[in-house]
Amino acid sequence: MVADSGGTARRRICFCIQIDMSDSDSTVPESVAAPAAKAGLRRISLPRWRGKLEAVALPAGAIVVSLVLFGLFCAANGKNPFAVFASIDKAAFGSWYAFQNTLVRAAPLMLCALCTAIPIRLGLVIIGNEGALVLGGLCATIIGLKMPSASPASVHIAMALTGAVAGGVWIAAIGALKHYRGVNETICSLLMNYIAIALLSQAVNTWIKDPASLNKPSSYPIPDEQMLQPLGETSIHWGLIFGLIACGIAWFLMQKTTFGFKVRTIGANIRAAQIAGISVGPITVMACFLAGMCPGLAGMVEVAAVQGSANEALNAGYGYSGILVAFLARQNPLGCILISTLLGGLLASGGALQRDHQLPDATILVFEGIVFVVILYSESLYGRWRFFQERTV
Amino acid sequence: MNQPTDQLGWLGVPLAILAGAVGGGTPFLFVSLGECLTEKSGKINLGLEGVLITGAMTAYAASYKSGSPWFGVLVAGAAGMLLGFIHAWLAQKPKVNDIAVGIGMISFGSGLAFFFGKAFIQPLAPQLPSFDLGGWSANPALKAALKICPLFFLGVGLAFAMDWFFKSTRWGMFVRAVGDKPDAARAMGISVTSVRTLSIVFGSFLGGIGGAYLSLFYPGSWTERVSGGQGFMAVALVIFSRWNPVQCLWASLFFGGAQALGPALQAVGVSGYYYLFNASPYAFTLAVMIATCSSKRSLAGQPGALGSGA
Amino acid sequence: MRANTHHEPPPLELVNITKRFGSFVANDQVSFKVEPGTFHGLLGENGAGKSTLVKCIMGYHRADEGDIIVDAASREIRSPQDAYQLGIGMVYQHFTVVPAMTVAENLLLARPDLPQVIKWKEERERLSEFLESAPFKVDLDARIADLAAGQKQKVEILKQLYLRNSILILDEPTSVLTPQEADEVLGMLRKMVLAKKLSVLIITHKFREVTGYCDEITVLRKGKLAGGGRVKDLSVPEMAAMMMGEQRRGRTIEKADRKPGSVLLEIKGLRADRDNGVGAVNGLDLQVRAGEIVGISGISGNGQRELVEVLGGQRRATAGEVIVAGKSFHMTRREMWESQFYILPEEPLRNACAPQMSVAENIALRTFDRPPLSRAGILKPRSIRENGRKWIERFKVKTPGENAPIASLSGGNVQRAVLARELGSGTAKVLVAANPCFGLDFGAVDFIHSQLLEARNSGVAVLLVCEDLDELLTLSDRVVVMSGGRLVYEAPVEDADVAVIGEKMAAH
Repeated sequence: MVADSGGTARRRICFCIQIDMSDSDSTVPESVAAPAAKAGLRRISLPRWRGKLEAVALPAGAIVVSLVLFGLFCAANGKNPFAVFASIDKAAFGSWYAFQNTLVRAAPLMLCALCTAIPIRLGLVIIGNEGALVLGGLCATIIGLKMPSASPASVHIAMALTGAVAGGVWIAAIGALKHYRGVNETICSLLMNYIAIALLSQAVNTWIKDPASLNKPSSYPIPDEQMLQPLGETSIHWGLIFGLIACGIAWFLMQKTTFGFKVRTIGANIRAAQIAGISVGPITVMACFLAGMCPGLAGMVEVAAVQGSANEALNAGYGYSGILVAFLARQNPLGCILISTLLGGLLASGGALQRDHQLPDATILVFEGIVFVVILYSESLYGRWRFFQERTV
Repeated sequence: MNQPTDQLGWLGVPLAILAGAVGGGTPFLFVSLGECLTEKSGKINLGLEGVLITGAMTAYAASYKSGSPWFGVLVAGAAGMLLGFIHAWLAQKPKVNDIAVGIGMISFGSGLAFFFGKAFIQPLAPQLPSFDLGGWSANPALKAALKICPLFFLGVGLAFAMDWFFKSTRWGMFVRAVGDKPDAARAMGISVTSVRTLSIVFGSFLGGIGGAYLSLFYPGSWTERVSGGQGFMAVALVIFSRWNPVQCLWASLFFGGAQALGPALQAVGVSGYYYLFNASPYAFTLAVMIATCSSKRSLAGQPGALGSGA
Repeated sequence: MRANTHHEPPPLELVNITKRFGSFVANDQVSFKVEPGTFHGLLGENGAGKSTLVKCIMGYHRADEGDIIVDAASREIRSPQDAYQLGIGMVYQHFTVVPAMTVAENLLLARPDLPQVIKWKEERERLSEFLESAPFKVDLDARIADLAAGQKQKVEILKQLYLRNSILILDEPTSVLTPQEADEVLGMLRKMVLAKKLSVLIITHKFREVTGYCDEITVLRKGKLAGGGRVKDLSVPEMAAMMMGEQRRGRTIEKADRKPGSVLLEIKGLRADRDNGVGAVNGLDLQVRAGEIVGISGISGNGQRELVEVLGGQRRATAGEVIVAGKSFHMTRREMWESQFYILPEEPLRNACAPQMSVAENIALRTFDRPPLSRAGILKPRSIRENGRKWIERFKVKTPGENAPIASLSGGNVQRAVLARELGSGTAKVLVAANPCFGLDFGAVDFIHSQLLEARNSGVAVLLVCEDLDELLTLSDRVVVMSGGRLVYEAPVEDADVAVIGEKMAAH
């Protein structure tokens, strides 16, 4: 017997007893359990490094495979894939200027991705990012226009809160409809996208239309002084900060708090959550509200930092790309930061691809589609390889 | 197809709605029948929007290249089947989320369609012919409203045929069994995977044809905005129709009509809420879903294995 | 067309059948013979390999070694179609009828020779003809989803007769039937067996059925042949001994002699509906006192599941009240903690566990938002893991580690983990348990029984819902029968009359 604390000895005795009972419905093959007991080893529980490695290796592998497939696609269209990759790399990460461009595009993606990544932990697939963004931008504009003589800081705070709350309420409604009425959340969020876009169109074309904006119907503009200024000398605006903070908070909330534990339990098995007395309805609505706040905020940033007014350009597809980011990042908020940056870089390189390789901007869409399909396939590979399985040491 | 003229005044509105029901309803009809078949086998296909867009593009391109719009329709169906096959392969893998596959296929399908479709935005492709059912009338608006594409009649026939298929054919019963209780089907020696794959593939075939209608009849051109979201709506339509093909027919006519409401009212001068009227099909679907869904009961007619990942 | 449409069923013989799943041997050199026109019982505890064996006969699995000999020739049975060709059919434990379809559609669908286009008029005529000569009648146009469990079982059997199978394998067919219905069904089948129209191989663990209907038995234990013989030559203790391997040790913990204390769980006028809106619990009144086990017996499908779901907060009651320790109970987390109300539903993996979350996290499900497992809303993962390890050890949960996903554990170990969570605190006042021993081997069953008795002895009010009447009678202090969503019988266990209980169970 190894001289050790009483706790260890007790544990080991327990091990031996387990072997003797020879439970016929055991899943631990005797060949694994027995040597450990014989060697008198203490059972060490490493914090799941194998599982964590799998969670990184498989998506990384998927991205590599996607690059290969995309390269083949380029080659089939008569373009040198390596040259294409080089162009993308240069336009996305090649210089500080290029990288700023990338980050500017990444910011709204980070925020919009959370609108899908958070509810999916509840087991809900919500694709209402676009609607929440549009609505957030619209409501923020309306409030902003009501404060013409306020200080820029208070305008920003008011607009940000309005945008976030508008988006939050929008998505919270979807969660509530799902829980209390059983309405399929994916279809519901889709339909509400159309409704939000219609509200936007109606508003900027009639209700809050600036008569001076003829070619591109918009609301009255936010005064320049009240716009969100870029950070320092860069062209990056506050959206990036919001995005980084939001992703960080989302990750912490989901993994480290009791609220997150409840959310994850609901997503894992709603019946288990019920039997533990977890109030599924209120938590669902709250999580959806938090999720919706993010694209709402992104909408506000679009208006206050980029567009200067609410118009149909708000409906630019960030929401949709946000869905893509969430799935590529496997619903991990920290992963969303990385994937948003990569996708932002890709989107930033659209112009270069067109100029240098005569590839239409739809090329990016093709790449997105390939990655999406490959990542989905990689989902089925989890748990297939023994290397990544938990072992008894 | 022209909009009813102002000459008709308010009478133009119901006429436009009727025209819209048939004209705008045809793509709804095809995607909803395709989705109905797929869902009866227990799988949800959210990717029909991608199939629709791909179908529209390939039909247009094929019609342009070959001079025959009907060839275009066939090619669109084939393109749909190809996408359907990829969807079926992915969606039946373990641990893969059905809805995610649908969204992924939209991304994939529309990406490819927009890429290859760039070359076909400008050229004019031969359009599908129409039956001029309004030939007897001197009224140009009426005539225009009664120009109906043969695909519509094909769709109507298909709806009734599919209903009979489910009730009185061996394969139809297989689809229903697989969709309701796959374990029971397996016990009877039915290959659940094969039945579902075939259902998804044929469902996407129909979706592709729906897309062909869009680019070769109404609106009759290929652009990146050719789809009005009919593919997305397919799932909602099928729920609305309680998984009954003949109900899909009525639902599609209804949606086509609702879509025509905005432009019809605008033509008679009611343009105040134009954009909101455009959203009426979506708002209406949402209202119906809220009214009829219940968190306690599953909907009547819903295949048992749908949404459960079985 | 079928190769063999016998008038007399052929003999079925298994010779040295061996089936392995990886390194696990499910069947080890099993041999026995079902003589034509006999009623043959296949016995064994859960996990003995009975289901695997019959699945080999039916073609779901291919045996790794051995032969299946039908009618004096060795056969390759690669699929249920092959089995059908030989006239072998099976009635499963879980229904294999399609709920959305009618009885007629289900019968037709089962036919491998169904034509591509179905001429309904002709088929209906043939079905009506068949029903004339069938042992029981069902409404051809009834939807399966609307039928009760007993009727569904009859449709399953009719399906096999419609297919003119001459060797019928039945896997625990009477588990959803009342004793009277079971007698009716088995009686009919026995008549056909005696008339040499059918051979029956029945998997059962009910000795009542074995002694009442079987001619011969074969007993499996841990995958191997453990015995067999003619029923009239064997006694029930001998059969039990073959099944269990040794004489069962007496229970280590006895029921302490104590008077029940105050009422800790009271159910008043409870009503609840099934998923399809039909009433399941129809006005239930019940009281459970501290230190007693009240056992609810009844055929499954009479509202027990819905009752447990209501108590667990998984289903909303439509009327009535639940009162725990004198206070109105609404299944909220706070109330559960304050009243120390614990619940162990059936099929724990499906109903009480988050499958992909770790064992430790599942064990922490009731306490993760309290110190020491968290503080001010922030989780403390190390404490959660330590807590998990503690309970894994105490309740002897076999797992690769506390971080393994709970779905990777066997049924018995999942049950132990959930039991650790529910009973471990030692402060429980009320415990509800539903079919806690379903599908488990005797070691786990004994463990759970001793845990329940220990809880009862220390003053916990235990409500036990159990479909196994013998188990219920062993554990309970008071027995009630639930039928049609109501209690129809109540008696202390010493006075319980099994015959009356059986009758009351049938009243639906």
